[in-house]
Amino acid sequence: MTTIFFQQILNGVIQGCIYALIALGLSLVFGILEIANFAHGEFYMIGAFMALFSITFLGVPFFIAMIIAMIGMAFVATVIERVVFRPIVGKPLINSMLLSFGLSTALANLALYFFKADPRKITSGLASYRFSFLGLYITGERIAILVLSVFLVLLLAWFIQYTRTGKAMRAVAQDRTAAQLAGINIRRIYSVTFAISGALAAAAGTMVGAMFFVNPEMGFTVVLKSFVIVTLGGFGKIKGVIFAAILIGLVESLGGGFISYAYKDAYPFLLLILLFILKPEGLAGGK
Amino acid sequence: MTVKRKPYILLCIIAVLAALLGIPRLFSMDYYLHIFVMSEIYAVLALSLSLLVGFTGQVSMGHAAFYGMGAYASAILSLRLGLSFWVTFWMAGLLVGTVAYLIGRLVLRLRGHVLAITTAFFCVLVTVVMNNWIPVTNGPMGITGVPSPSPFSLFGVHAVIETRAQYYYLGLLFVACVVYFLWRIESSRIGDAMIAVRENEELAKSIGIDTMKSKVLAFTISGALAGLAGAFYAHYIHFISPVTFTINESINILVMVIFGGMSTLFGPILGAVCLTILPEFLRMAGELRLVIYGIALIVFIIWMPMGIWGTIQRILLPKGPEKTQG
Repeated sequence: MTTIFFQQILNGVIQGCIYALIALGLSLVFGILEIANFAHGEFYMIGAFMALFSITFLGVPFFIAMIIAMIGMAFVATVIERVVFRPIVGKPLINSMLLSFGLSTALANLALYFFKADPRKITSGLASYRFSFLGLYITGERIAILVLSVFLVLLLAWFIQYTRTGKAMRAVAQDRTAAQLAGINIRRIYSVTFAISGALAAAAGTMVGAMFFVNPEMGFTVVLKSFVIVTLGGFGKIKGVIFAAILIGLVESLGGGFISYAYKDAYPFLLLILLFILKPEGLAGGK
Repeated sequence: MTVKRKPYILLCIIAVLAALLGIPRLFSMDYYLHIFVMSEIYAVLALSLSLLVGFTGQVSMGHAAFYGMGAYASAILSLRLGLSFWVTFWMAGLLVGTVAYLIGRLVLRLRGHVLAITTAFFCVLVTVVMNNWIPVTNGPMGITGVPSPSPFSLFGVHAVIETRAQYYYLGLLFVACVVYFLWRIESSRIGDAMIAVRENEELAKSIGIDTMKSKVLAFTISGALAGLAGAFYAHYIHFISPVTFTINESINILVMVIFGGMSTLFGPILGAVCLTILPEFLRMAGELRLVIYGIALIVFIIWMPMGIWGTIQRILLPKGPEKTQG
C-alpha cells in the first residue's frame, strides 16, 4: 500500500514537471501579450509530431529529436504570433479567446487530416532501463524526463531573471507603455515570448509522446488543465505556476489511484473550484 | 428612435413574421426544417448568453453545461417519473436556474479571463459527471427514447407536437417569448444596472448599484433559459448524450453571440441562424470542414470584431457610431 502510494507520488511529480513546462509557456504569453491562448495545446501536439517524425524519418536519437522539435515549434509559434495574434493584441479578452480557439480547431483538425487519429509512440530507447529504489520502479526514460524538465524550467527561470531579453520581458509584462517608452522593442519581445512558449510546449509534447502516445487530439484537455494550473498559481508567476503544476500532477495521480480513475480528469477542475470557495484570491495571493 | 421610422419598422416586423410563419410551407423537406428548428434552439441559447456577455459584460464559457443540464433534467424526469414535457420543461428551467444561481454566487466574484476560464472548467466538470454518473445519466451511451410533448387541448384547440413543422412553430413561440422577456428585462432598470456593470463595474458600485446582484441575476436568467432550451432539444431530438454538451458547444454558442453582434437582441439571433446554416454548406468540404471553420473564425475575429450586425449598422448608419440600445 505505501509502496503504491509513493509510486503514485513519483508518477505525479513527473507528470507535474511536464505540466509545468506547458503551463509556463501559457502563463508567459498571458503575462506579456494578455492573450489566453487555447491553441497552446496544439503547439504541444505539433511539437510531439515533429519529434516523432524526426525519429522515424531522420533516425536521430531522442534528445536530438526533442531539440529539433523545440526549434521547429519555436519557429512555427513565432510565425503564428506574427500572422494571427499580432492584429488583436490589446483587444478585449473574448476576441483573443475565440481567435485562439479557432486556431486550435484548425490546427487540430489539420493534424487529424494529415496524420490520422491512430495513437503513435515516440521511442526514446531509454524505457528498457529499469531501476528499482526502495521498492519503487522508475524507467530510465522517466528519469531523463524528470531531469530534462527540471533543467528546462531552471533555464527559463534563469533566462527571465538574468538576461537582457528576460528583463525586457518582465518590463513589458509589468507595463507595456512604460516598457516601450524605455526603448524596448515590444514586437521582438512578443516574438521571443511565443518562441519560448512554443519550444517548451514542444519539449513537453515529446516527453508525453515517449511516456504515453502522440495523437492529433492530445492538445485540448492539456490546455484546459494548464489553465487550471495557471489560474491556481497566479497569472504570470513562475514559482506559483511550478508549484501548482506539481500539485495538479499529484492530485491527478493520487486521486486516480485511490479515489476513482473514471473521474481522474475532473480532479484538477474540482480542486480549483473548491479553492475559489475557500480562497477567492488564488493560491499565490492577490492578482 | 424617431416617430418617422415607426411604420417602416412595423412593416418590416410584419414581413419577417409572415416569412417565419411560412417557412414550413416553403421548405417542406425534413432536412431543412430540422436546420430551422436547430436554429431556433441556438437562437435561444445565443440570446440567453448575450444577456450575460453582451449586456452584463461577463464572459462565460460554461453555457453548454446549463444547456446540457436542462436536457438531462427534463429527459430523466419525463422518463423516470413519467411526467409530461409541459411539466418537465419548466422543472428543468427551475432546476438549472437554481444551479446557475449557486454557481453564479460562487464564480462571479472573479473577473475577466479568470471568470471565463473557471466557467469553462465548470463545463468540463459537468461533462465528466454526465459521462461517469452512469446510474442516472447512462454515461457515454446517452439517454434514448425521450418522449415527444404529450397532446394537449387549449381553448378547445387540440394540438400535438410530433412533426418537424409542429416543433418549428413551438420553437418559434419559444424564441418569441424569450425575445419579449429579454426585451422587457433589458429596457427596465435591471437592464440599466446590467449595462452599468458592463461599462464600469467600480463606477456602478460607487453609485449604489449592487453589482454582484446584477451579475448573479443575469447569470441565473441566462442559465435558466439555456436549461429550457436544453429541455426543448431533448424532447425534439429524443436522444441526448454527453458529446452534445461539451465545452466546444459553449464556445460555439459564444461565437454565435459575437458573430451576430453583442448587446442587441437581433444580433444573437442572426448569429445563431447563420452559424447553424453555414456549417451545413461546409459539409461539402468533408474532413477539412473544421479546419475551414477554424480559419473562418480567425479571419472573422480579426476583420469583423463588432459582429455582422455591428458591421451592418456601421455601413447603414455612416453618420456616427450610434449603438442600438433598445
